[in-house]
Amino acid sequence: MTLTYMNIMLAFTISLLGMLTYRSHLVASLLCLEGMMMSLFIMATLIASNTHFPLVNIMSIILLVFAACETAVGLALLISISNTYGLDYVHNLNLLQC
Amino acid sequence: MIMHTPIMMTTLISLTLPIFATLTNPCKKRSYPDYVKTTVMYAFITSLPSTTLFILSNQETTIWSWHWMTTQTLDLTLSFKLDYFSMMFIPIALFVTWSIMEFSLWYMNSDPNINQFFKYLLIFLTAMLTLVTANNLFQFFIGWEGVGIMSFLLISWWHARTDANTAAIQAILYNRIGDIGLILAMTWFLLHYNSWDLQQMLALNSNSSSLPLVGLLLAAAGKSAQFGLHPWLPSAMEGPTPVSALLHSSTMVIAGVFLLIRFHPLMETNTTIQNLTLCLGATTTLFTAICALTQNDIKKIVAFSTSSQLGLMMVTIGINQPYLAFLHICTHAFFKAMLFMCSGSIIHNLNNEQDIRKMGGLLKTMPLTSTSMIIGNLALTGMPFLTGFYSKDLIIEATNTSYTNAWALFITLIATSLTSAYSTRTILLTLTGPPRFPALTYINENNPALLNPIKRLTMGSMITGFLITSNIPPTSPPLPMMPFYLKLSALCATALGFLTALDLTLMTNKLKMKNPSQVFKFSNMLGYFPTTIHRTIPYQSLLMSQNLALLLLDSTWLEKSMPKTISQAHITTSMTVTTQKGMIKLYSLSFLIPLTLALFLMM
Repeated sequence: MTLTYMNIMLAFTISLLGMLTYRSHLVASLLCLEGMMMSLFIMATLIASNTHFPLVNIMSIILLVFAACETAVGLALLISISNTYGLDYVHNLNLLQC
Repeated sequence: MIMHTPIMMTTLISLTLPIFATLTNPCKKRSYPDYVKTTVMYAFITSLPSTTLFILSNQETTIWSWHWMTTQTLDLTLSFKLDYFSMMFIPIALFVTWSIMEFSLWYMNSDPNINQFFKYLLIFLTAMLTLVTANNLFQFFIGWEGVGIMSFLLISWWHARTDANTAAIQAILYNRIGDIGLILAMTWFLLHYNSWDLQQMLALNSNSSSLPLVGLLLAAAGKSAQFGLHPWLPSAMEGPTPVSALLHSSTMVIAGVFLLIRFHPLMETNTTIQNLTLCLGATTTLFTAICALTQNDIKKIVAFSTSSQLGLMMVTIGINQPYLAFLHICTHAFFKAMLFMCSGSIIHNLNNEQDIRKMGGLLKTMPLTSTSMIIGNLALTGMPFLTGFYSKDLIIEATNTSYTNAWALFITLIATSLTSAYSTRTILLTLTGPPRFPALTYINENNPALLNPIKRLTMGSMITGFLITSNIPPTSPPLPMMPFYLKLSALCATALGFLTALDLTLMTNKLKMKNPSQVFKFSNMLGYFPTTIHRTIPYQSLLMSQNLALLLLDSTWLEKSMPKTISQAHITTSMTVTTQKGMIKLYSLSFLIPLTLALFLMM
């Protein structure tokens, strides 16, 4: 395993950690989700470049498209939470009617 | 020539004149209630020589009979029987009614419908006299239903009050259950003896069957508030005090006992019915005496006292002494009506306060009322040589020397001591001690319309027993000799009850009141009888019907039987068998384990 791939996978692991252990803000988890997507995109592009197999580039483009859609959905959820609760503190999230 | 029959006819017809006066429209120079009262007074005065002549002439009975109509098998006649029972009862009923009408001139003075009130009282009196002088069961039934309807109209006199309407309906329902028994007896007599005439029924005692007598006993239990059909009598205290004094102490409630007295030749030979009557009467007298011990409304105490005395009359019939029961009816009317009138005087003077815990100290402020109350209570408990003694002591002696159910006789003695106990409690709480009513209450008993009837009935409570027993023809054989302790047993039981109540009241009136015990709650809630019979049964029926109609189809079959059961079963089982605690963030960090492994393995 070359140093580059290990570097990318370390970036992925750190973003995963960041997503799973957020404390107070929901937007932190969403940012880390973006980080994961970015590192995966970089790794796909590097593989396509190092193995001299340009047809694999399509994987990175499709990955990017789906990451963008997912970002849009995540931001929409964040905005709706922010509209109802004012902030995006996770302690705010409850379904109480009163 | 013996003149008592035309004189009695004058009495009875003159009572109907004020009723017809309201149908026409005469000139109203004097007030109508005053006119009714003087009519009753003159009726009483004209009935006295009639009764005296009847007793002195030593006749058995006189019957007026007018043929009314004939059905195919039955002759209906309008027949009035003037025998010992009717002739003795009519002057007493008229005397008590005269006093009560004079009392209600004071009590109902501010009522705008006072004319209607007096008309109702008069119609009631007419129905009662029809009942008492009836010679056939049809006329008796007319009087029976008449007093029932007038009781309904008079109990709900203040008909805007919900409790009064409830009490009136209750009276009608319980009396109706008794009417079933009366109609059963009438039908049996019609089928087997082919007549409703008392003479024919009492002479033909051929097939001695218990069925008509059971019907008559049920009718008496309904009208005279025996145990099982008793709750209407304390509820009937919702009516004005004159109504309670007339109907529910002296006249209407004794109609059931009077029916059994009329049929005593049939009951003499049937020991089953006698035992039933005895046990029913004994249960009634003990149960209502227990209930009277812890009541706080003065009218309810007197109502339970009436019920207890009615049970005593039933006991007397049960030991085959109808004449003693009739004597007790006559003497009981005096002091019970007077007790109700004294209660009415106290209630009105204390500004409509009926709770004895808020009375007190009336010995000095209302001397005549308190004197009469004490005399009435003494007569009730059987103080020697007052009125009640002549009937009550004879009854207790007869029970002690009779050859029947010892348990029933024993609880009658206990009820006698409880009678004096609650009478003592009433006197001590209403009349003695410091006053517990508001200080600016205007107490004034100087109205002759109030005082004269009370004075008359007081004199009646004192001397009537002696007068009646020394002037009536001998009826049943005098009691044989009995041991000294049995002779004194009634007096000892009464004294025991009096001393115990006195001691307890004087000992405990400064202590803090502790939480009521189970026995106190039993007595105060009237044995839980109204609670279970009136509320539980309808509530359960309504609840069951609501569940069947609404919940069964929609909620149970469509929702809860399949979907919710499945989901609930899953949730319960998974919550039981799971070991997880839902720490998702920690669990998702387990992603790191293969990642680090992969990193290290790839190295």
